[in-house]
Amino acid sequence: MRMIFLFLISFLLLYVDISFTNISPVDVAGLGVYFVPKLLFMFILLLSYYLGVKWSLMIALLLGLMTDVYVGTVYGLHLFGFATFVLFMNTAFRVFYRDYVTLFFVVIMNTFLFDTYIFIMYKVIGIIEMPTFDYFALRAVPSLLLNSVLYIPVLVVVIILSKVRKSVFINH
Amino acid sequence: MRFLNRNRMIIVIVSVIVLILLIGFSLSDRSHTTKAEQFTADTTATTQRIIDAPFNFIGNIFSGIFSGFGADKRIKELEAQLDALPQLKADNERLAEENKELKDALEVSSKFDYEAINARVISRAPDQWLNSLVIDKGQKDGINEGMAVMTPKGLIGIVKRVNGMSSYVEIIATNTAKENISVEIRDGKNKHYGTIEKYDEKTETLIVNNIVNEGRINKNAKVYTSGLTGDFPEGVIIGEVVSSENDSYGLSQNAHVSLASDINSIDTVFVLKRDPESLGD
Repeated sequence: MRMIFLFLISFLLLYVDISFTNISPVDVAGLGVYFVPKLLFMFILLLSYYLGVKWSLMIALLLGLMTDVYVGTVYGLHLFGFATFVLFMNTAFRVFYRDYVTLFFVVIMNTFLFDTYIFIMYKVIGIIEMPTFDYFALRAVPSLLLNSVLYIPVLVVVIILSKVRKSVFINH
Repeated sequence: MRFLNRNRMIIVIVSVIVLILLIGFSLSDRSHTTKAEQFTADTTATTQRIIDAPFNFIGNIFSGIFSGFGADKRIKELEAQLDALPQLKADNERLAEENKELKDALEVSSKFDYEAINARVISRAPDQWLNSLVIDKGQKDGINEGMAVMTPKGLIGIVKRVNGMSSYVEIIATNTAKENISVEIRDGKNKHYGTIEKYDEKTETLIVNNIVNEGRINKNAKVYTSGLTGDFPEGVIIGEVVSSENDSYGLSQNAHVSLASDINSIDTVFVLKRDPESLGD
């Protein structure tokens, strides 16, 4: 049961991430400001906390692979990125006291670091030419703000999902 | 350090090697898409379409309601245009027939000949780094890698990967997509040839280089595909010249070209299937 919802929600979040490309970049005073949602990524990170690392890694590898092959030019970036950040979050987050505020900051900082990792990789490969300052001013910070707002509905979804029973059948 | 014990170290090293291999594989110059890639991409595309369906349905209802306002005036304008259609159709048929007869007489196949396959955009890259899109037509519809993709306004990209029921298109504003597309610049009666070097994000223009220095290219000169490279047909409009300058040695010119199509708003596209006879060996 939980597995079905997990996949459905993952695909739905991937769809919402893709849908944002219809409105972003937003033209502000002649400058293109990028708002890049990371709903699927935040969902995967939160899964590792509420449902466990195994569930999170499974979705990370599957959806990472799909994102790479479906809408990517360079394979492996999302696949390894998602998996690495799940493991990183799980390892780094152990030392903190687990409360909502800390969780929020860790997840939001991870979205920022993940986007920066993609930026660095594309820059190294030579696919993009965006200057570093432009990246931070016109993309990283606006995306950080957007993801801070979008974090709340994702958290609610994950909390509800964690309460869904695993099996479809009721054991008597 | 406990986190990096021997087993974990091996996993990390193997992962990095696999990542490097995957990057190398995806950036290699390939002329076909593997079955595994086709399966994964088609599965995702089908799921995307299923999720998309109810959203599209609701969107269509709303757009239908809003487009109803002021529709009378628009209908009258279209009716007036429709009255002239039979004459245009007759002229077009007569010219096409005349053109065919002349080509048959000369025994040549034209680089202008192409079949346009209509396709709908089903998604764009969610990370917004690369200007790429996925369309709902693939191998089954006769699409191949390297075909040109255009909107009604002009050329926008190249088919990079073809799956069974979908295809991955890279927009020419992406630096991986340029593939040295040969272009023809028509400046009045003069014709200049060059190749697309890259997309300049600052000026939002394509940079065309290697143009033989035979006099200054004027602003607003139209830029078309030349049909000299790849599967691209000749005469597809790309945009117009914004500015031109000599290169650092003064031997050739570079031109900045603004795209005719709006790359931020693409809903439907045409994939151009060039007449195989015109491709040569």
